[in-house]
Amino acid sequence: MLMLMSLPFLAWVILFKYVPLWGWTIAFQKFKPAKDLFDQKWVGLDNFTFLFKEEAFYLVLRNTIVMSSINLVLGFITAIVLALLLNELRNVYFKRTVQTISYLPHFISWVVAANIVQTALSPEGIVNILLLKLQLIDQPILWLGKGEYFWGILGISEIWKNVGWNTIIYLAAILTIDPAQYEAAEMDGASRLQRIWHITLPGMRPVIVILLIMNLGFILESGFEPQYLLGNSMNVDYSENLDIFVLKYGMQMNNYGLATAAGMFKTVVSFIFLIAANHIAKRLGQSRLY
Amino acid sequence: MINKKWLKTSMAIIMASALLIAGCSNGGEKNAGNNEAGKTEGSEVSTEPVTFTYFGFGSNKDVLASDTTIGKVLEQQTGVDWKMEFVVGDASTKSGVMIAGGEYPDVISPVAELEKLIDAGALIPLNDLIEKHAPNIKRVYGDYMDKIKSEDGNIYILPYTANVNGYLTEPDIGQGAFWIQRRVLKEFGYPEVKTLDQYFELIEKYQAKYPTMDGKSTIGFITSAGVSGDFYSITNVPMHLAGYPNDGNVMVDMNTHEAKVYAASDFEKKWLSALNDINSKGLLDPETFTANKDQYLAKLTSGRVLGYFNYGWQTGDATNNLKAAGNDDLRYVGLPIVFDESIKDAYIDPPAFVNNRGIGISVSAKDPVRIIKYWDNLLTEENQKLVQWGQEGETYSKNEEGRFVMDKEQLANRNDNQFKRSYGWAYFDYEWPRYGSNSVFEDGNSYSVGNQPEVAAANYTEGDLKLLESYKVETFSKMFAQPVERPWYPAWSILKEQGSPEQIYNQKSEDLQKKYYPKLVFASKSAYESIWNEYVKEFGKLDVAGFEAFITNKVKERVAGNW
Repeated sequence: MLMLMSLPFLAWVILFKYVPLWGWTIAFQKFKPAKDLFDQKWVGLDNFTFLFKEEAFYLVLRNTIVMSSINLVLGFITAIVLALLLNELRNVYFKRTVQTISYLPHFISWVVAANIVQTALSPEGIVNILLLKLQLIDQPILWLGKGEYFWGILGISEIWKNVGWNTIIYLAAILTIDPAQYEAAEMDGASRLQRIWHITLPGMRPVIVILLIMNLGFILESGFEPQYLLGNSMNVDYSENLDIFVLKYGMQMNNYGLATAAGMFKTVVSFIFLIAANHIAKRLGQSRLY
Repeated sequence: MINKKWLKTSMAIIMASALLIAGCSNGGEKNAGNNEAGKTEGSEVSTEPVTFTYFGFGSNKDVLASDTTIGKVLEQQTGVDWKMEFVVGDASTKSGVMIAGGEYPDVISPVAELEKLIDAGALIPLNDLIEKHAPNIKRVYGDYMDKIKSEDGNIYILPYTANVNGYLTEPDIGQGAFWIQRRVLKEFGYPEVKTLDQYFELIEKYQAKYPTMDGKSTIGFITSAGVSGDFYSITNVPMHLAGYPNDGNVMVDMNTHEAKVYAASDFEKKWLSALNDINSKGLLDPETFTANKDQYLAKLTSGRVLGYFNYGWQTGDATNNLKAAGNDDLRYVGLPIVFDESIKDAYIDPPAFVNNRGIGISVSAKDPVRIIKYWDNLLTEENQKLVQWGQEGETYSKNEEGRFVMDKEQLANRNDNQFKRSYGWAYFDYEWPRYGSNSVFEDGNSYSVGNQPEVAAANYTEGDLKLLESYKVETFSKMFAQPVERPWYPAWSILKEQGSPEQIYNQKSEDLQKKYYPKLVFASKSAYESIWNEYVKEFGKLDVAGFEAFITNKVKERVAGNW
């Protein structure tokens, strides 16, 4: 009976998750949208060769990995810290207000968010005014014009936008911890910090590890919109990522073959990361994805 | 307390739904009215009411055509209404999505996405439809048939630049120019400014005298290079400074018809070192490469900018707003700046036919015959007057000699963005089948409102007149050299196949320019030379010769008459 019940879902998985993989054949073609499969021109590995021969490809690959690592690490740390802090709050109204304010930016589209960031960071923007008033700098800084600053700006913008949202799942994880443990610890004279360190954090560990493994699967997904919207000719060496490269040389030139090849490359790399992380977690005796 | 709140809320909801229902039923009645009007007027063309979809890759606000005055009139003639939508955000992403989905609106004005859509087979050939149903289209595009046919012999789009009955040059500058704020010219008694050095010198002198305005420092010079997709407003400049019109990223020799890439050339070097120079003097806006469109236009309208380079179409809204604000000193005037006095400028476009900007019918269109008939009807003289001038007695008048004129209020309306939208000019005067802007009507009136000498003269403010008088010219375009015929013009409209080496060259050269321009402009004097050499070396890795050969070949074909 159970087997029978799972059949529809199996069919769903095959239909929607495996059949589309057929589209990968585009990577080996000079694909024209209006023609059917047999009229397409097959080009073998040409699309991959173009990708791996291109000097710019390695630069955008570097940017992609760095930016997504920054997002991953910062995103994790800030979300966990914020969850711990919120959990310690005793005033429910204050807690809810902070939480609501912190996850609101998640619902703003990047187009609007990028505009806010651009305005704030312009030479006459609030950031420069503040720094000038505090006499930390004596000349306005062109924040988006310095490539080296871009990764930092992106990291901070991502946190501002997503930290509240990411916190929700950790707060849920904390709720599953048995209150009796805290009471026992308090009896034994554990301080607040000790309680966080020895009870809350270990209680959250399974969730943290699983999320980490899953996010490692997206290591080549550093996002597209913020880089595209905040990028300009002065920071292009740091802001252009794989997705923008694919947009320029693939989509914009109707070169869907190249776009698919890049997609395949991303999938393979992500797959390797995911398996490796899962394997390590298994070795360390932690909870794991499968 | 709580009860009262509830009462208020429910009242509000009831009111809202009542309004909604009323609005809906009103709309229904309106449509019904149209039906009848259409039926009585109809001859053999079906006037069944129908709404088609229109998608434009230019920027505009979405609208239902019948909500505009012009759209309404056209609907009464044909029974056809349009749901007009325009691209939001990145155009190439949108066209990619359309192609991937294989579903298109009935008609598309693809602008820069044309190659992609043709490549995907999104547009239907119009040849037979025109032959069978469209005498007016044949009349307007007859002389251009060879130029609008693509290589496979099919007509996919009807371009916007087919001039009819002659060629009138524009009195105002709608193209590229070095713009300068009028108070700068005024301050120094309207001097002759011809070369780039003189231009920057004047700005420098002015800024030294008046470093601030309203408490904020003035900005010496700026371009819209930071606006995404507008990088050409800084890379195109060397071509103009060297005395060539806008052929895109090549300069075409008048005699040999050889196309030459000017990126990484001495012309570009001279331009960039001039920028580098004014930057070291603090005249260049530090946000040159980073300001987005809103920030950029805000600067222009603030009056703090002393000079800028742009094409007229890039700053239309800003210049209109400045004019509406009424302070002539803060407005700008375009100057034909060149490298040195021996060069004759070529800012004004020579008579040109742009064959890769136009409107086409998509493969998803339900009733192409109906659409082509609508277009044919749109191309009658009467309707062409409607889309440019509006209705006689309302938006323009005729004087005793039968010349079209506009009074102050009519003219203000014709220039007002808000009014243009509600009347429909903003939608119908450009991205539809039309006469070219330099056309003449059969009665001798100018096709474009702005080209009618009577209107241009009436359009001038006191400040305009004083300025023109100081330079002893009648119109602004007289300050520029008259264009010289170039049979291939413009070279930028030459079709490049999707994913071809030429397209990849275009992308790569633009990438390189984007990377090196800011480095060069903001470099210290001592580092300039070495960065320049690095740039030239990087540029040398691209297949410049192949690209030049491709364009030269196409230019020569065009000169020989094969478009």
